[in-house]
Amino acid sequence: MSVPLIELDHVGVAFNAQLHVGAPKFWALEDVNLSLPRGARLGVVGRNGAGKSTLLRTLAGILAPDRGRIRRGNVSCQLLSLALGFVPYLSGRDNAILSGLMLGLRRRQIQSRLPAILEFSELGDFFEQPVSSYSTGMFTRLGFSVAMQVEPDVLLIDEVLAVGDTEFQKKSGAALRERIHNGTTVVFVSHADAQVHAICDQALWIEHGRSVMQGPVDTVLAAYHAAAPVAEAAQ
Amino acid sequence: MRLHWLELVLFSTYAELRAERARSYLGFLWWIIEPAMNMATYYLVFAVVLKTGQADYVPFLLVGLTFWQWFKSGVSHGGQSIWQQLPLIRQVRLPLQVFPSVQILADTVKFAFILALLVAILWASGYKPNATYVALIPVLLIELVFTAAAAYVVGAMMPFVPDLRFVIEQVLQVVMFLSGVVFSLDSIPPAARRWFELNPIVELIDAARDILMYARWPDWWALGRVSLISLALFALGTWLIQHYTPRYVKLPT
Repeated sequence: MSVPLIELDHVGVAFNAQLHVGAPKFWALEDVNLSLPRGARLGVVGRNGAGKSTLLRTLAGILAPDRGRIRRGNVSCQLLSLALGFVPYLSGRDNAILSGLMLGLRRRQIQSRLPAILEFSELGDFFEQPVSSYSTGMFTRLGFSVAMQVEPDVLLIDEVLAVGDTEFQKKSGAALRERIHNGTTVVFVSHADAQVHAICDQALWIEHGRSVMQGPVDTVLAAYHAAAPVAEAAQ
Repeated sequence: MRLHWLELVLFSTYAELRAERARSYLGFLWWIIEPAMNMATYYLVFAVVLKTGQADYVPFLLVGLTFWQWFKSGVSHGGQSIWQQLPLIRQVRLPLQVFPSVQILADTVKFAFILALLVAILWASGYKPNATYVALIPVLLIELVFTAAAAYVVGAMMPFVPDLRFVIEQVLQVVMFLSGVVFSLDSIPPAARRWFELNPIVELIDAARDILMYARWPDWWALGRVSLISLALFALGTWLIQHYTPRYVKLPT
């Protein structure tokens, strides 16, 4: 096996619980080990509050570890964020450019992808209207269409696999699955076993901010569910 | 900053100005009306009511206020920007200097309108354009750097102590009176004035008045000193923001 793209070695991440002076720290991640090979599709399972979202943001480089080590090759990691940095008073077009710039695209890259965004989002003339006039569905469609333009080496997905109304769910789900199975390295956080089975080729189980097990999907999910009563009692 | 982030700053500035225009009925007319009303207030209080009787008081006041307001709005908007953008900062990795820079650039665009208006008023009142106008370029550049520097330093602190935003307006008010915007600092004894001149705004406004009102070249030594102070503070502000970036995302929501 080649050198992993990202490796976490006993990583812990602490938050300030309150703003005032001398407030205690809260360890959202206690001790996580993880190894992400190129092309892997890793599913992260664990109960609410186990630290799954914190783990994703650590992988994205937004959160720095307070202990342990993170080794990262020269790769771009991006959280799939819908409607990132959208401004209500701006048109769909301007928001698409703004969001794309924030996600790390160059101006001319976004400019050349605007027709694709317009087409995929099915906004038509609304593309030139302020997004504050959009329905929830339109807003979501634009957000997803923009997010899909970014092509990071490692795509980080927090639960969201498909968005919008029934029609658009099919379309967005298909687009995302195509991206995932196109060889992109993916880390996918989910509560739904079926989705992890469908998408991932390995899984990581974390519990109370600690990584318990990483391995093949079936093995990890079986162990996770076998331990469920114990863990539930511990909570 | 990489070219890519420059593109983000420029486009965000455009977006900020555009959104601001859309948020009010009169749109960008407010960029002129608001400072004009502000100037009128000071004029009423200090020239008409208190009869601050120095010669050339009206242009003295207008030049001072124009250059002061640019600094003030840059610091107060830029200083809050990182704190205001925390939800975004938690989702994406960006160099955080982007946020105060956008606010300062947006305020600079608005300042450009007011400066044009000020110059028109001065010409109409008999202060003719002259060769020393060239010196406005370094004066404006230094003020831009100093404004950014102050905004970076305040902006770096604000996420830890959001209470600062209640204090900062008051502090700026005090600094305004100590900067010779409304009152001339000439009446201050020279020994004390040396201390006042450590404040870059004092020298910058002096230079602007020399150029615009008296067709005099500014005090280059003073401007040199001020640019060193500004650059040092800018470096400090940049360092503070970079140093604290990992900690902002760990603050409670």
